[in-house]
Amino acid sequence: MGTLSLEGVSFRYPGRSETVLDQITLAVPAGGIFGLLGPNGAGKTTLISILAGQLRGATGKISADDEPLEALRRRRPHSLGLVPQEYAFYPMLSCAENLRFFGAMQGLAGARLKERVAAAAAFARIESALARRAGRLSGGLKRRLNLAIGLLGEPQILLLDEPTVGVDPQSRCFLLESIRSLAGAGRTIVYTSHYMEEIEAICDRVAIIDHGRVLVSGALSEVIRGGSGLEERFMQLTQRSLRD
Amino acid sequence: MRRLLALWEKEYLALSRDVLGIAVLFLMPAAFIVVMSLALSDVFRGGSALRTEFAVMAADPKLAGRLVQSLSGDGFRAAPAPADEAAAREGVRRGTPSLVLIVPRDFERALAAPLDAGRAPPELRLLADPALPPTQLLAFRQRVLGVALGLRVSSLMRRAGIAAGADALELKRAAILNVETIGRIARPSSVQQNVPAWLIFGMFFVVMPISSLFVVERREGTLARLVSLRVPFSMLLLGKVGPYFVVNLAQAALMLLAGLTLVPWFGGETLALPARWDLLAAVTACTSFCAIGWGLFVAVCSRTLEQATVIGGVGNILAAAVGGIMVPRFVMPEAMQKLSEASPMAWALDGFHAVILRQGGAADIAAPCAKLLALAAVLLAAALWVHHRRRVLTSAQ
Repeated sequence: MGTLSLEGVSFRYPGRSETVLDQITLAVPAGGIFGLLGPNGAGKTTLISILAGQLRGATGKISADDEPLEALRRRRPHSLGLVPQEYAFYPMLSCAENLRFFGAMQGLAGARLKERVAAAAAFARIESALARRAGRLSGGLKRRLNLAIGLLGEPQILLLDEPTVGVDPQSRCFLLESIRSLAGAGRTIVYTSHYMEEIEAICDRVAIIDHGRVLVSGALSEVIRGGSGLEERFMQLTQRSLRD
Repeated sequence: MRRLLALWEKEYLALSRDVLGIAVLFLMPAAFIVVMSLALSDVFRGGSALRTEFAVMAADPKLAGRLVQSLSGDGFRAAPAPADEAAAREGVRRGTPSLVLIVPRDFERALAAPLDAGRAPPELRLLADPALPPTQLLAFRQRVLGVALGLRVSSLMRRAGIAAGADALELKRAAILNVETIGRIARPSSVQQNVPAWLIFGMFFVVMPISSLFVVERREGTLARLVSLRVPFSMLLLGKVGPYFVVNLAQAALMLLAGLTLVPWFGGETLALPARWDLLAAVTACTSFCAIGWGLFVAVCSRTLEQATVIGGVGNILAAAVGGIMVPRFVMPEAMQKLSEASPMAWALDGFHAVILRQGGAADIAAPCAKLLALAAVLLAAALWVHHRRRVLTSAQ
């Protein structure tokens, strides 16, 4: 899998005049982690939703290895994985039941399903919690289950939308290491977060967007060049005014 | 198919762990069946079951006794005569007795007078409790006039030298009238009205678990995740149909069982089972599809749990009130009966009555079943359309 490219992607919700995404152009190379930054309401989650196929109607061009992303997803439905910022699983089901369900929804069955459930559980280190109800897990375990579900189909493109919100430092550290190791396996990873230190720790390239526009994009070292860090650069570009 | 089975299994697991939801779906209609079957048993039996007390105040104790004897029975029971009219009025005001017939002193003599066009007929007065059902009052009024006519004819016959006792001229003795209810004019008994009625009500309550779980799935991002896995939205909706269809069938089996065992155990009538189980299954299936369609539509339209609860709950109660679930349609005024034809619960009730009550055939359930299936299809299509409208978005350029 090569580069994920966005060229002139624009989008607005029906019945609303304001443009949520305005001519977004980005290049996300494989084998690294691409940090997508922006204040609340900047358009990050909308962009992730468009990439994940949840929102239609965006204009512009989105491609993976020169193939339109939609065509790729039609050809290989599980080439793209999503780990949303919500706990997108069933709280009344156990971890194992959740993994089996989402595996089955990706077309896995029999021995292959068992193998993928075991592998994803091992990767996220949730084997000891497989029999427990997902709704009764700690915040850290829930995040790890969320990640495990996103990895069941072995996606080549992985979208991680604030995957460490509400977890303790130990779980955050584990999650960040795990995500880093995923990138090492040649995946294309898009990572959104409000935690600047996380982005600085694991991302190779970043883009800062605000009001639906790309303010800056490039290698992390280039973006923060001349400043004291990513947070200062972020505040400089997006201003200090509070966002609704 | 594998994905659909996985969806059904997930739905089954989620529902089976929602104890409160299960209780609402099964215990609520069963409780309604028992309580309402017992509470309305007298209403469905008609006049014979109602015991309306009446008293006769007449100066002549012999005439009073004869009137009491003639007016008693078929739902009317004699009570001791009040001491005077004031006591009678006070008694009727309290509802004990509900009726007091006041016979004037010269009533019998007036009856015996020759019929004359210019002469007013003798006058009787009836004090009535305003809480008395109008049908009971009308029945008693007709009975009094019948007895008065018997007395007059008896008196005239005596004057003509024809021997005939007043008893021989009682309406009850005029002829033996056997009433045979046939086909569509039959009225349901209490248990036969209430078992299908509250079963339908319970079946439509699947709207609650369907819509609430759907709202939670949307709020928690599970639906979004499934959509990103390219699971068609129509399949997500179909994933709800199978498990809730099974739930509806289980409800039907258990509610029929309640009509057969629970209601008689509490002293009510036993449900008469239909001769055609295949037709009963067909009506149940069509009702289920309509209920599930309604549930899916509410689920897709509701953005919050509160909306789902209010739209689903209030919608069900309104449809039940209009559709003859809470109040039988034959006691409704004509305008309400017309309105009830718009309620899917009324269509379902028609179907169940055709099978259980009238022992009808396939032709008798065709119309209600067709309406239920058509509405189910419309609701499903509307759910897909609403979802499509929310997802197909306008472009920026």
